[in-house]
Amino acid sequence: MALAERIHRTIDATHWRGEIPLNYIYTPGRAGEQFLRALLDEETFLGARCAACGVTYVPARIFCERCFARIEDSFVKLGKRGTVHAFTVSHETFDGVRKEEPSIVALIKLDGADGVVLHRLGDVDPGDVRVGLPVEAVFKPKKDRQGSILDVRHFRPAKG
Amino acid sequence: MEITKEMVERTATALKLEDITKRKVLTTPWQPKVQYAWDDGPAIGRYLAELKNGRIIARTCRKCRRIMIPPRMFCELCWRPSDDWTFVKDTGVVNTFVISHVDWKAGRLDIKGGERPLTPAVIEIDGASAGMGILHMLDEVDPWQIKIGMKVQAVWKPQAERQGAITDIRYFKPLAPERKRGK
Repeated sequence: MALAERIHRTIDATHWRGEIPLNYIYTPGRAGEQFLRALLDEETFLGARCAACGVTYVPARIFCERCFARIEDSFVKLGKRGTVHAFTVSHETFDGVRKEEPSIVALIKLDGADGVVLHRLGDVDPGDVRVGLPVEAVFKPKKDRQGSILDVRHFRPAKG
Repeated sequence: MEITKEMVERTATALKLEDITKRKVLTTPWQPKVQYAWDDGPAIGRYLAELKNGRIIARTCRKCRRIMIPPRMFCELCWRPSDDWTFVKDTGVVNTFVISHVDWKAGRLDIKGGERPLTPAVIEIDGASAGMGILHMLDEVDPWQIKIGMKVQAVWKPQAERQGAITDIRYFKPLAPERKRGK
């Protein structure tokens, strides 16, 4: 059979428009709550250590992923310094539009932790970033912090 | 945004509503803007366009001689493309109906307080083949007086308010002569 309708541009198709209302509230959970409050109140990343496995997780979590032991009582403050584990220099936005200034996203291996956190790098020329670069978190002023990973504005090359 | 008790109590960690409303726990609210455009195709597209014109259009199959409403481009019985457009009437017969004390959001209607039950119905459209009908609402009738087989007619929105939607017909009401009592 022939096509009943031949459309070359999707915009030409008759259509019915609608919106789906979605409301979403993320609650970070028991470990996540403490992790974010540590950023908010103490300007430190919070990890969780499993002594049996010798592993320090970040962000903090309730159970050890390897031995399933409860490690809720073994949270450790990791401070705000680490090294660049991997990074990407991004020249485009999420929509594929060219940015005027490139941004840098990086996996940061915090000192004393076995895991990494994903964040932005700032106060640095993209050409100067390399794996292993020592960095430190730059926090927003206390009044602007909300208990979010974005309370950290970015990481920058560590001083001293 | 309104946070309901039900939303909170569904979470795995036992939170109370006030844990969120009184900001005892951290929250990240997000309202993604989800938009869609449903391609209504040649059959329903024409059907909706004709509703805007104040007419109901159907589709015929020359093989089984059915007049199909809502229109479709393919006859599911003959397994072949349907053939022609034809207008049908905006009157019909109640095929089946419901007296609902529950609204669209599954909330209970206040019937004792004077709210009218909702009365959705399948209406066989005059001019289409027997048993072919559309789902719509009945109004201007006592819900308890609705009968299967009752003749009804469409109540249209004024032309300026019509937008090519099934709601361009507000509802169906009993066809005038049938409303007289004692008949």
